[in-house]
Amino acid sequence: MIRFLKNRIAGGADPSQSLALGSLEFELMEILWSCEESNVRDLVPKLSRPLAYTTVMTTLDRLFKKGLLGRHKSDRAFVYSPLFSRQEWERKRAGNLVADFLAGPRPSRELLLSCLLDAVGEHDAALLDELEKKIRSRRKELSRQGQP
Amino acid sequence: MILPYALRLVCLCFASFFVLNAAAGLLVRIASASAIRFAESKTPNAAARFLLAAHLFPVALATLFVLALCVPSYLWLEPTAGAERVGGICALLGLLGVATCLHSMARTAISLFASLRHYRLCRLGGQEMRLPGAPSPTVVLEGEAPLLAMFGLLRSRLLISRGVLRTLSAEELDATLSHEHAHRTSRDNFKRLLLLLAPDIFPFVRAFRTLEHSWAKFTEWAADDQATAGDSSRAIFLAAALVQVARMGSGPRLPFLSTSLLARDRDLAVRVNRLLRAAPVTPALPSKTRPLLLAASFLFAGCLVALLIAPPTLSLVHELLELLLH
Repeated sequence: MIRFLKNRIAGGADPSQSLALGSLEFELMEILWSCEESNVRDLVPKLSRPLAYTTVMTTLDRLFKKGLLGRHKSDRAFVYSPLFSRQEWERKRAGNLVADFLAGPRPSRELLLSCLLDAVGEHDAALLDELEKKIRSRRKELSRQGQP
Repeated sequence: MILPYALRLVCLCFASFFVLNAAAGLLVRIASASAIRFAESKTPNAAARFLLAAHLFPVALATLFVLALCVPSYLWLEPTAGAERVGGICALLGLLGVATCLHSMARTAISLFASLRHYRLCRLGGQEMRLPGAPSPTVVLEGEAPLLAMFGLLRSRLLISRGVLRTLSAEELDATLSHEHAHRTSRDNFKRLLLLLAPDIFPFVRAFRTLEHSWAKFTEWAADDQATAGDSSRAIFLAAALVQVARMGSGPRLPFLSTSLLARDRDLAVRVNRLLRAAPVTPALPSKTRPLLLAASFLFAGCLVALLIAPPTLSLVHELLELLLH
């Protein structure tokens, strides 16, 4: 119980840490997002590689302590279910990432902003050349007429 | 469904709002191609005003009907005692009216929030300063993104990237700042808010996209005209600035409640060619007949209101509402 509370407090102090997932953790979360709830025994055969029952149990326990899974007892075994949808988890993770960047030094903020100002479309270079040519010729025309 | 007096009024208001908004909206949607063709024959400023009025006409008509006729006739002629049965169709129309209004309100709130968040984020990473010739306090962002945009509804703020400042010459920058100033004086961001607030014909059906795109195009043209003020050399500087900024590459995706030099501009060539035309477009001077027209409109509106709130009109409206209710 004390360890659980310590973990929860530690998790609360650094939310980005609790939302970061290892590969097995992520795989388990994905299975749970698709099937909504499951116990350890049912999860083991659904994994992409054969893993020991205890390994999966420990990982699920870690996810529970991170506050990503909820659990209740059914027939002397825990049934785990995700506390956030995948979308909510991704939103929280992105939010934490942005908050970390903004709390960081100035270069980090600038990096984030340059990422936000991302590419959405480019103008045709040939068209721009042609427009520039027109502007030059119009400028010449005006200067011949005596305007600056 | 049996509803008490006040709820019946609410149901009737939303139902009649939905019916009128949908009917007028469909008419505007059908006539939008002709409206755009008609707008093209006007000056950009007049065209933008006309298209905005056409877009807002259904919601204005529906609101006017509800507030000026539906509510007074109901309060005046409907007996207050007891609950009454409301027909299924009326209830359904009322619900559709509520859904249409809620959808437009949610859309507006989301856009306002997105615009505020984007601006705050940029302000956090940028540096606030006052550029010479800039219409409002300016946030300068580091980086090479081709960003030059005006944010804010009442107190507008200009966002500009260091890359744009470096790329444009003093004259080009002056012309672009005047362009943004023109957006500010015509309160284009506020008009965008009105467009968002105007409910659609049916919930989740954006029927006025073409009108909105044309309106946006004409507002850009009007801002170009105001920025160049009929001066050919200024027009060339603005055209050059447009091409320079376009050459800087990709534009940032901006929230709907902002005006940008290039982000939503799909007809760059048309805009540049327009600026380079031999005869510069001079902004229209305020007409002397305008006060007269305004006075005549007020007089006409006064007569119309007097006619509408006359007892026979209200009785007729009440009969129509009864028909809708049952």
